[in-house]
This record gives sequence, C-alpha cells and structure tokens, in this order.
Amino acid sequence: MSAIAVPRRLIGDRWSAIVFAVLLTLLILLKGRFTAFDLRSLCVAALQLALIALGQYLIILTRGIDLSLGPIASVSGAVMAIVIAGNPALGLMLPVAFGLCAGLLNGVLVVGIGLPPIIVTLATMSIWQGAALMVLPDPGGSVPSFYQAFFIGGFSSPYIGLVSLLAWGGIVSWVLSTRFGLNLRAIGGDELAAEMSGVRVRGVKITAYTLGGLLAAIGGMYMAISMSSGSPTVGDGYILTSIAAVVVGGVPLVGGRGSPLAVVMGALILTITASLLFFAEVSSFYQSLIDGCILLLVAGSAGARDFIRGLVRK
Amino acid sequence: MSLVDRQEDVKETSAPRRTPGLAAALPGLLILFSIGLIVFAERVAPGFASASNLMQLLKLASFLGLVALGQTVVMLVGGIDLSLAWVLTASAVLFTSICLGQDANLPLAAAAAIAIGVLSGLVNGFGIVKLRIAPIIMTLAMNNVMLGATLVYTGGNPGGGISPFIRAVATGSIAGIPWMVVLWAVVAFCAIVAIRYSRWGRRLLAVGENSRVSFLSGINNDAIVIGAYVFSGIMASVTGILFAAFSGASFLGMGDQFLLPAIAAVVLGGTSMFGGRGGYGGTVAAVFFATILSTVLVIGSISAGMRNVIFGVAVLAAVIAQKLLARGEDQSM
Repeated sequence: MSAIAVPRRLIGDRWSAIVFAVLLTLLILLKGRFTAFDLRSLCVAALQLALIALGQYLIILTRGIDLSLGPIASVSGAVMAIVIAGNPALGLMLPVAFGLCAGLLNGVLVVGIGLPPIIVTLATMSIWQGAALMVLPDPGGSVPSFYQAFFIGGFSSPYIGLVSLLAWGGIVSWVLSTRFGLNLRAIGGDELAAEMSGVRVRGVKITAYTLGGLLAAIGGMYMAISMSSGSPTVGDGYILTSIAAVVVGGVPLVGGRGSPLAVVMGALILTITASLLFFAEVSSFYQSLIDGCILLLVAGSAGARDFIRGLVRK
Repeated sequence: MSLVDRQEDVKETSAPRRTPGLAAALPGLLILFSIGLIVFAERVAPGFASASNLMQLLKLASFLGLVALGQTVVMLVGGIDLSLAWVLTASAVLFTSICLGQDANLPLAAAAAIAIGVLSGLVNGFGIVKLRIAPIIMTLAMNNVMLGATLVYTGGNPGGGISPFIRAVATGSIAGIPWMVVLWAVVAFCAIVAIRYSRWGRRLLAVGENSRVSFLSGINNDAIVIGAYVFSGIMASVTGILFAAFSGASFLGMGDQFLLPAIAAVVLGGTSMFGGRGGYGGTVAAVFFATILSTVLVIGSISAGMRNVIFGVAVLAAVIAQKLLARGEDQSM
C-alpha cells in the first residue's frame, strides 16, 4: 500500500503546484504586473479557504466528511468580532475553545454513537448557522485594525499573509508526521488493519474531528480579522468549497493519501481563478462553471484514463 | 402504518438475515410527532388544524416531497445528489425564459427544462459509474457547473414568465384539494409501489445492498445507477417548473432551500445512506414532519436563528433515535 501511495502522493503534490504555477503565470501576463498588494489579497483570501480545507482534509483522511466547518467558522468569527474589542484575551480564546468543542461534538456523534458523518454534520451545520444568527443577527462587531496588521499584514505588506499560509500548511504537515498523524493515515488506508495493529481508532478519529473544528474556527477568526468585523453567514460559502479545495489538491476521498501542502495548493488554485477571470475581463458568472470543471478534471482524470484504455482494448 | 408493515415484508424477502425491528417504526413516529405538533399549534393558534390550512401545508410540503423522491432513489443505490439545487434552478429559469407566459409555449418549455434534468443526470451517472468519481464530488461539481451555466445564460437576471395553465396547476385546487397535493399523492403512491414491488425497485435495492452480488445475479448495475441519477435530475427539473409556477417567477438560488432538507428527509425517513434499504413512504413522513415543524416555529414567532438550531437538533434527535431503535440489528448505519 505505502509503496504505491508514496509516489502517487508526490505526483499529486506536483500536479497541483504545476497547475497553480501556470495559473499564476497567466495572471501575471494578463495583468502585466504583480504587486505586493495583489500577493497579499491572494494569500489572505486563500488562507481563509486553506484553513477550513485543512480541517476538512483531516476529516476526509478518516473517510468522513464535515459540512459544519463553514458555519463553525461563522460562529467563531462572530464571537471574536463581538468580544475582542472589549477583552482581547477572551476574544482570542473563546473562538478557539468553541472550535474545539464543536469539532469534538461532531466526533462524538459520528464515532461515539456511530452515525453517518454527512447527516450528523448536516444537523450541526444547521445548529451553528442558527447559533451564528443568534450571536450576531446582522454583520457587525469590530476587530481593531491592530490585529489585521499583526496577523495578516497591512495592505502593502504581503509577507505576513504568505508566511501564515505556508506556516499553517507546515503545522498540519507536522501534525501528520506525529504518531497521531501516522495512525490517522493508517485508518484512512485500512481501518481494520489499523485497529488490528493496535491503533486506537475511535480516539484518533474523534481527535481528527476536533482538530477540524479548531482549524475551521481559526479560519473564521482570520475572516473576522480581514473584514475587521463579523458576519453570521460568512462561512456558508465554504461548506462545499472546502471539500472542493481538498479534491483539487489531489486528495482522493478514500484512503489516507494526499498532503497538507497540496490542500493549500488546492485552496490557492480555487482562489486565483477568481482574480484570473477578473483580469481576463471574463464575467465572474463563469467562476463556478470553471471551478466545477476543474473539480471534474481532477477527480475524473484517473478514471477517464482507465475508461479510455478500456475502450481501446475493446 | 400499513405502509410500514409492508416495508417489513419486502425487507424480509430481499434481505432475510436482517430483522427490521423497531427502526422501521420511525416513519410512524414522525407522523405521531407531526400530529402532536398540529394539536399543539391548534391550541396556540386556533384554526391551524382546519382542513384548508392543512391542505396549504401539504401543498408547501409537496415541492420538497417531489425533490426528495429523486434523492431517495439515488440514496437507495448508495449515492447522493448534491446537484439537484441548481439543476432545479436551471430548469426553472430555462422554463420561464422559453414559456414567456404563453400556454402555447408550454410543451417546448417543459421539454427543454426536463432535458436539463435528464442531461445532468446522465453526466452525473456516467462520471460516477464509468469514471469512478465519488458521488459527492461528481454532483457537487455538477451543481457548480449548473450554477455557472445559469448565471451565464441569464446574465444574473432570470426573465420570461409562467403560463396560466401551469400556474393553475401549482396554485389552484379542486374540491378544496390543491392540484399539487393530488399530483404528489399520485406520484407518491406510484413511487412507493414501484420501489417495493416492481422489478426496477427490487433492482435498485439489490444494487444498493450489495453491488457485487447484484452484478453476479445478472443485473446491469451501471444502467440502474445511471438511471437513478437521471430520475433524480428529472424530479429536480419538474419541481423547478412547478415551484417557479407556484412562486410566480423563476429566481436565482430557488433550489438551494431544498438541497439539505431533502437529504435530511430521506435519512430521517429511514433510507440508509449506504443504499439497499428504505423507501419513499418514510421520506414522505419526514417531509410532513419537517414542513409542519418549520411552519409551527414560524407561527410561534421563533427567530430564524433559533429555527435553524431547533431543526438541527430535531434531525440529530431523529437519527439518534433511529440508531438506538436499530441497536442489536445487523445495521449498516
């Protein structure tokens, strides 16, 4: 298994990096220049998607799925925007604690009770969407500009955004290199085999859901920081896009494969297509059409190759 | 309740090693809960349980009920259809833009709209069966493609209009019973019977239960699965046409409100997400329950946020109840 998985994983990584490089080159050619401001916008937008997608990725490694990550981000951003101006420490800690609890709840319901992940997270999605509206009925609250300068950099300083993006990819890579990460991959590869070799499958899976909730909450905090305020619905757009980013990063939905950096690439690819359309003077209406096609291309390429081979052989 | 009993019979014949037990009673429980809610609402707001109001509720439920039929069939073969939201919207938009408010254009407009459902279902099925794309990804991508195509086609402003005939079907009634309720009842009856007793229904369940065994028994798995997605696409298109007629116009995003409630209704109705067990009767009960619950919450002037929370908790409570009732059985959920 691992003998096959490793080369595939490397190709998967390179594939998404190559596509991103091509898209970036196209963008620079179309625009004629690529300023620090452009780099910052790209990194900050991709960072928000990447964090939620990294959380999704940990859960997909357990062969699960989480539809509640977007709304978890909404609640965490809303709480942060309300609290942080009055009490900075609480404003940073409360969203983090919420993310951990929300993730743990999903984990307990899916793993502890043994319910299908899609229906559990569909229900918790509805609960957190509602909670976000109750916490913050209309977009509002405020996050002092100091946090923006500190966490994602000012409008002309691109490096903090870029470094944060790579750092979060690195942190998740590190998590996966620990004993926990190894067990997580083992479970994704073959749950029964992992259990037989002494992996505490339930504990590892619950931890994956908890960390997923945490990463989503941190993504929501970045959203609040970059908007300088909270919005109760900001995370809804990430519910399905986070799954798309994982897939575009070349991670298959079954099996413990893929890498966090590839997921970051997936987030960058889905983010850059928006700017690309803008500068190619193509209507933004084409955005989801193109995202859908990219998704199909990535997810279907291996199957299409086999299908065509099958036809030729006939 | 007799529907539930019959469901047990079929399960025994198709999968004798499983005893349906109490889990099969869940749709019945949902109906009981719904009746309880109606009684409660009648006390809070007298007139709620009147025949005409209940008919209005059923009319509202019929749209979700029709979409959820497609989702039921797809889930019976172990799949999921996330594309129905924008297949529904795209069909409705195309329908109004061709129909232009004229009954004369109705056949062409309806055919074009349903063609969208057929086409998207074919592509979904092909991708899932032949290219081995995970159903959730394939239909998510299709949803994006339909969303983009609708935006590009309309330029952001859906136009046209619905014709008097289809408007009458979606909003009118006969002898106090809305046409939509009549239509839904007929469709539901046919679907329940077809899924349980027809050759097609048994094949659906067989493929969902164990695709290898069904293949070895001579069933054309690929055709059954592709057919399920085509059916789901058609149901989304038909609902799109009717819902546009009900609303008086097509509008962007009109399908989104159906996507997740449809999935919830199918699962609450007792259809396994892994295929092979369940039917439309349970889905109908869950659609009733969801519609009555949300109406009662609106009447009780509960805030939108609290409504979402209650809906989520209700779904959780129902699946946990389902799980507990099924404990001890050989249950794949």
